[in-house]
Order: sequence, then C-alpha cells, then structure tokens
Amino acid sequence: MTNARAAKSTREKAAELRAEAARAEAKRKQLTITGAIAALIVVILGSYLLITKAKDDADARTAAANASPANLTNGGYLYGSSTAKVTLELYEDFLCPACKNAEAANGTQIEEWVKDGTVKVIYKPVAILDHASTDDYSTRSLNAAAAVINTKPEAFVAFHKALFDNQPAEGGPGLPDAKLVELAVAAGADKATIESAITGKTFENWTVKATEEFSKAGYNATPTFVVNGTKVASSDPAVVKAAVDAAAKS
Amino acid sequence: MKRLMAWQPWLTTLARLILAAVWFTAGWPKFTDTEGTIRSVRAFQLLPEALVRPFGYGLPLLELILGVLLVIGLGTRVAAILTGALMIMFLFGISWAWAQGLSINCGCFGNTGTAVTDPVPGYIKDILRDLGFLALAAFIAWRPFSRLSLDARLGMFPNGVTP
Repeated sequence: MTNARAAKSTREKAAELRAEAARAEAKRKQLTITGAIAALIVVILGSYLLITKAKDDADARTAAANASPANLTNGGYLYGSSTAKVTLELYEDFLCPACKNAEAANGTQIEEWVKDGTVKVIYKPVAILDHASTDDYSTRSLNAAAAVINTKPEAFVAFHKALFDNQPAEGGPGLPDAKLVELAVAAGADKATIESAITGKTFENWTVKATEEFSKAGYNATPTFVVNGTKVASSDPAVVKAAVDAAAKS
Repeated sequence: MKRLMAWQPWLTTLARLILAAVWFTAGWPKFTDTEGTIRSVRAFQLLPEALVRPFGYGLPLLELILGVLLVIGLGTRVAAILTGALMIMFLFGISWAWAQGLSINCGCFGNTGTAVTDPVPGYIKDILRDLGFLALAAFIAWRPFSRLSLDARLGMFPNGVTP
C-alpha cells in the first residue's frame, strides 16, 4: 500500500465516521423531539380534560340547585288531552328553519288531532343551534319558552307559534330579549315576571339539561317527531300522518 | 421518479399545510361549540356515556395541536402518524354509522344540527375525503423532511435525509 493510498483511506474513514456521528445525532434529536411532543400533547390534553371535568361537575351542582320550570309533563309542555292514545313528541329549535317549515306543514293537522282527542302533543324544544347565531339565540329563546311554561303555561302554544312566525335568520343575531318579552306578553304572559326570567336567564341550566336529554335519547337533529316513542322518519306531513294513523289503530 | 423525489421536500411542505388547514377548519368549530361536539360524538353510539364528554372535549383540542405542529413543521413525523391514526378512527366511525343504519351527520367540521333523511351520500363523501387526507398523512410520515420546517432548522435531517 502506498502512502498516498493510506492517507486517502484514512480521510474517507474519517468522513464516514463524521457522517455516522451526524446521523446518530439526528436520530437522537428525532427521539428527543418526538418524545417531548408526545409528552406535551399528553400533558395539555390531560390538564384540559381535568379542567373541563371540574367545570362539568360545577355546572351539574348549579343545575341541581336551580329549579326546572313548573308545569312540565314528561320533560315537555303537554298540549291536548292526557288520555289521548297517541303521543306526539316534537323536538324543535326555535332558530331552525326546517322546524319552522315543519310547523307550517303540520300545524293544521296537529291542531285537528288535538281537538278530536286522538293526539296529545308534548312540545320539547331544545337548543342545538347556538353556534348559528351571534348571541346564543337558541338558548335564549328556549329559556324564554321555559319561563312562559313556568308562569303562564296556557300562553305557551301561542308563544311557540309567535317565535316561529318571527324567526330570525341563521348566521346573525337572534331576536333581542326585549322582543322575546314583547312576544311573551302578547301571548298572555305577565310582563314583570316574564321579563326578569328572560333577561336573568333563569332557566339556562335547564335548557342545557333538556338538550342533553334529547341527545341521550338518541336524537341529533331538529325537527324530530316522535310518535308513541318511535322516531318518525321525516317531518313530511304524509309521513307524520301515516305514523299517527298507525299508532291510533294499534 | 428521481425528479419527483427532488421535489419531495416541497411536496411534504404542501401536504403539511393542507392537513394543517384541515385541522384548523375542523377543530375550531368543534372547539368553540363543545356541547354540539359532544352531541355529535354521542350520535355515533360507539362510546360508553362516561367517555362521551371527555372525548368530545379532547378531540377538538388534539386536532388544533396537530394543526399547529404541522404548520410549523415540528415533530412532523409524529404529527403525521397521529393525523393518520385519527383519520383511520374517523373512517371506522363513519363506516360503523353507515353499517348500523344511523341517520347522522359526521360532525367532522362541527355539529350542524340539521336533519338528514338519506345519509349515505354524506357517508361516501366523508369516507373519500378522509381517505385522501390519510394518503397525505402517510406521505408525510414516509418522507417527513420538508422545507420551511422547524424540524429542518433543528438539524433533524442532516443532508435532507431521514435518519
């Protein structure tokens, strides 16, 4: 072996060793950074879950301390004769355009059924569209409905209709509290009591509970029509009528 | 192929930015509407009730964290692997909902609360979309070296080679 050759070989070896060291260093960095990120994710998620759990527990205590509205039947407002054979539960959000349409399409028919005693309606309004208004209108309108049921239940059906007649568009602000008070008073509620319950959001915790129960019952969209415990496939009047007729016959 | 591989660091950057955008647009509405997200999770009828709330709280935050990691290019490979794992989980969830005959929206980009009478077209669209995102995540995990990344700055890829 000549000297020149030996020198080259040494240089090559040294370069190889350096590259090897760089690779090892990079690998070590990879492991450290990956481990640190994994640990960070676990810590952030873990503490966030602890915080939200504490918040949920606190909310549950407040909800337990706050009363539900009076005059509820099976968690909703009973409209019609309690002995009617068919029970029609209506889950609606006052901001939901499809609910407004469903009310318009089925309203007359439902009115007839209630009058002739075949059907009792249980209105179970929920608040699932707070993200679709800039001022939590779903929750505010549901709180107002609960306040009406609480103090003046016989005004509920008219108030319910007024809320759909005056439904604001999605994406913007909902009706202001003053307008909710005005509609409730026009429906027959007492101004002083209804105003304090609407502006003070007296039944806000109940609105959360009612919405959670809707979700736990296996429903996830509005409008949802339920006939004698079975969800109706759609709120199309023909489909609803078929379900009610079948339940009346059974 | 060789030419494509010359572009690979930029392709990985592009894939990172696309997935980061996905995580921000999907995670933010879920993060701000926690109750809606929790209802979406429950609608799949997959988790026991005790896990529904923690999952509904945790998922949006994890999505946002992954979005941040991908956009700055830190821990690119682990972020891509977690992204792929979440996509596989979503694909499973959507297929399950379809197989069970559930009529739900996936709530992938937030809970809309709108009724669906025929959910199947939605399921197909969601599955194809998530398969696309899964492919991007797999590409990043395969070749995590990318331009404009913190990883490269930190010297995790000497000579642009994945160790």
